[in-house]
Amino acid sequence: MGRNAILEVEDGNLLNTLNMLWRKLFEKKVIDALLIPQELPSGINVVQTLVGSPESLESPNPLAPVLPVNSARIVSQMTKVAPSPRRVGVVLRPCELRALIELVKLKQASLENLVLIGIDCFGTYSIKEYSKLAQEGSPPTEDFLKGVKEGREDSSLREACQTCEYPTPMNADLIIGLMGMDFEKSILLQASTPEGERILEALELKDSNETEVAKREEAISQLIAQRTKKRDELLEQTEREVFGLENLLKLFAPCINCRNCKTVCPLCYCKECFFDSPTFEMEAEKYLGWAEKRGTIKMPTDTLLFHLTRMNHMAISCVGCGMCQEACPNDIPVSNIFRLVGLRVQRIFDYVPGRSLEEELPLATFKEDELQEVG
Amino acid sequence: MKRIGVFVCHCGLNIAGSVAVARVVEAIKDYPGVVHAENYIYMCSDPGQDLVRKAIREKSLNGIVMANCSPFLHERTFRNVVASEGLNPYFCEIANIREHCSWPHAYDKEVATKKAIAIIKATVEKVRRNISLTPMVVPLTKRALVIGGGVAGMQAALDIANGGYEVLLVERSPTIGGHATQLSGTFPTLDRPPCLVAPKMAEVANHPNIKLYTYAEIEEVSGYVGNFTVKIKRKPSYIEDEKCDLCGLCLENCPATFPAEFDRGLSQRKALYLSPQAVPQKLVIDPRSCLHFNGDQCRACEEVCPAKAIDFLQQETIVEKKVGAIIVATGYDLFPRERIGEYAEDPDVIDGLQFERILSPSGPTGGEVRRPSDGKVPQEVVFIQCVGSRDPEHGVPYCSRVCCMYTAKQAVLYKRTVPQGQAYIFYMDIRSDAKGYEEFVQRAMEEDQVLYLRGRVSKVFRDGDKIKVWGVDTLSGKSIEISADLVILATAMVPSPGAKELARKLNIIFDQYGFLTEAHPKLRPVETLTSGIYLAGTAQWPRDLPDTVSSASGSASKILSLFSRKELLHEPTIASVDEEVCSGCGYCVSICAYRAIEIDTKRRVARVNEAVCEGCGACAATCPSGAMQHKNFTARQFFEMIDVATGAYV
Repeated sequence: MGRNAILEVEDGNLLNTLNMLWRKLFEKKVIDALLIPQELPSGINVVQTLVGSPESLESPNPLAPVLPVNSARIVSQMTKVAPSPRRVGVVLRPCELRALIELVKLKQASLENLVLIGIDCFGTYSIKEYSKLAQEGSPPTEDFLKGVKEGREDSSLREACQTCEYPTPMNADLIIGLMGMDFEKSILLQASTPEGERILEALELKDSNETEVAKREEAISQLIAQRTKKRDELLEQTEREVFGLENLLKLFAPCINCRNCKTVCPLCYCKECFFDSPTFEMEAEKYLGWAEKRGTIKMPTDTLLFHLTRMNHMAISCVGCGMCQEACPNDIPVSNIFRLVGLRVQRIFDYVPGRSLEEELPLATFKEDELQEVG
Repeated sequence: MKRIGVFVCHCGLNIAGSVAVARVVEAIKDYPGVVHAENYIYMCSDPGQDLVRKAIREKSLNGIVMANCSPFLHERTFRNVVASEGLNPYFCEIANIREHCSWPHAYDKEVATKKAIAIIKATVEKVRRNISLTPMVVPLTKRALVIGGGVAGMQAALDIANGGYEVLLVERSPTIGGHATQLSGTFPTLDRPPCLVAPKMAEVANHPNIKLYTYAEIEEVSGYVGNFTVKIKRKPSYIEDEKCDLCGLCLENCPATFPAEFDRGLSQRKALYLSPQAVPQKLVIDPRSCLHFNGDQCRACEEVCPAKAIDFLQQETIVEKKVGAIIVATGYDLFPRERIGEYAEDPDVIDGLQFERILSPSGPTGGEVRRPSDGKVPQEVVFIQCVGSRDPEHGVPYCSRVCCMYTAKQAVLYKRTVPQGQAYIFYMDIRSDAKGYEEFVQRAMEEDQVLYLRGRVSKVFRDGDKIKVWGVDTLSGKSIEISADLVILATAMVPSPGAKELARKLNIIFDQYGFLTEAHPKLRPVETLTSGIYLAGTAQWPRDLPDTVSSASGSASKILSLFSRKELLHEPTIASVDEEVCSGCGYCVSICAYRAIEIDTKRRVARVNEAVCEGCGACAATCPSGAMQHKNFTARQFFEMIDVATGAYV
């Protein structure tokens, strides 16, 4: 564990304090640009923005309890072709960071010149829920943080968030530590890499004492325990729902082949999806042949094959961010099913996606002595 | 539009016995795209091949489905037939209705027939989408590398060198010859190995086409058939060979001793040593046993050397060479007897190779049979066979193949040296299946009075001057106790240490015991799955001398035929990348067992080295976007085949 510093919250306003922190990062030349969610002028949502100068930081709000997009996709978009030539701070939630690490392993993103700023995550609402709350009156971020402070369990958070067992950032240079903190007074800044240490140095903050660190640790383990329990309940239920061919077909029956799940998944990285390739362009005769053989075929075809193939490709790296489920217009529990399968596969290889850059993708490594008891 | 012809082979009754071939032809003749279908008793025969040629000419066929045995056997045959009619040979595919159909469904004609139809229809779908391909031309370096200088390596090197090609022979110990030089005699002829092996060693050393690298190891291998690059690490001998004239003063003055490997610890050698009959005649200093290298100031050899040939600062050197083909002949070791707890650690309980040394005229006892503990001539000698072998619980489950015979030989040689002595052999079965072997064993029993006891030994332990052996004779049902003077264990052959590491460098496969694996146990027994790399001798499996020499000559002849070509042709049914679709994720790179793919970092796409790709298809199966496709095995072809096969087969 690296160095921990205290960031005093001024006037009880955490967002303003953080805003000053971002500006300071620019001033101290720690970063040349910043990727951070900002509130839309209408106030009904936040979007990811890339900010080129501190003056343009109008309404940054990385605490807004909503995840419009898994930003690992955005970092990949920016750094895939060539690494960033200038230093970019990227403010990411834990699931975004983990997805990013997987993408780096898959050569779809580069961490070169990036300053990874991870933020403790208490969960997010769906975009719809968030904008509903925003339109109903008081700013959702404040209400949400108040609820967190009071220890309120919020059942309107996204299912993926309520069952997320990785609420704190892994592999960030700098962690914005909120858990267990009285964030009207102060929060923790934790450096977990040499780069992070240099940033803390530049910010000239005072070190935290051990009690504060212990308080955060305590809060984290409590939250993880609670979420893991919920996760297991959810996955048990999902397993019952999906078990057997009939159930599987039933669950995926509403799929209209819109591929939203693929589009929003941070790890579906293919330039062109196999299912959009000419391999699946069939002659009318072919469809008619199938129809004659089976009486009826569901149109569009190959929807289940699409999901199973995507699962086959994703299971080992699925971070469970739940974006797929959010994007499904027909409420198919895609994420729950993917997590159920993903977790099983990952356990076989003792692999946690996004845990470490050094851990090789299990399906891309060969060990002479593994899986002795298959089948 | 493809005009496809289908040819259904009866394979005598192999196929026609369970597949109703006439019905198959009937079912397939009107299938879309099929313009010709017929059946014949042996399609691979000359008249059968003529039927195919005739149909191609008369019906203008441009797609051929041969429904017969595995493509392993006759794919090449029929592609040549098709090519002889001017068609691209890759428009011909095999529908395997024998191994995949008639044999496994031999007792259900109905199922076999329906399945044969399904397999053929699926193959028609494949051929419909096959594209024309041309084999690639690959340059060829006509120089071979042989790894291991035992009998197998020497034989292979000589065969290739006598064929007129250059050979690099790499041996990690200071001398070539291998274990065979340790032997006292050979079965069943009782030749003395010096007469067999020594001339070969000399021939290797003096052959103008053989470059010998003794006391050297393989550091790295890259490249592919015809174009390997090897790095050979020459270990420092700490002696400048050009200066040394083998006067022997250093040997006399060296104060450090070490159990001699050549005598398997039954004698001592100096830190500075030269095995008897070593080829080449070059001294080495073994840094493990040399005082100078173990914290001492000793320079005794340097001080006495009149030629100033000692160089303690000598470093290892790396030699880089290009070769076109490689033979791996890394040989064997013996199963560690300490892993069999019943057989006591005792100087008079020895392994087979130790007894070879005792029987050998060049051995520690000068050929007189004397036991290690006190030099006494043993009067009662017990041989125990299958020590470690055929013992899945404590050792290895396989039969070590040579122990029955060498035990019989050793017992005979013992009896001829100590005529009044008694030899007992505990055995499980006697495996004496080669020319003259069974007769030899019978002679050992009848003429040399060796006492064979069928049964296992439960315990071997020291009892004063004697070694007690408790066993059982399962034929008489009696338990047996022998007070022996010497016990010889026929321990199993295992691969020599380091074979696995070498296999990894060469990218070839080994089995669960570490023996190197051939490409096919029946049809490609000397090749590995990596083309251009061949196996010889006991690195592959326990073998006696004739089998070792045969396998070595087999590998050598493969290389000779390879080198007789002007250039190499490489199968074009390999992987190819659609660069528009490839995301450069590198899954294919890590999955490729042949190291044939790399990422073009500039363009961020995968690139297949076509000469290295063996067309296994693992990359195509792994690629999530389908950017990697296997030529004439595309995803679309598979989908069509599955569709047809599953729709028709009930």
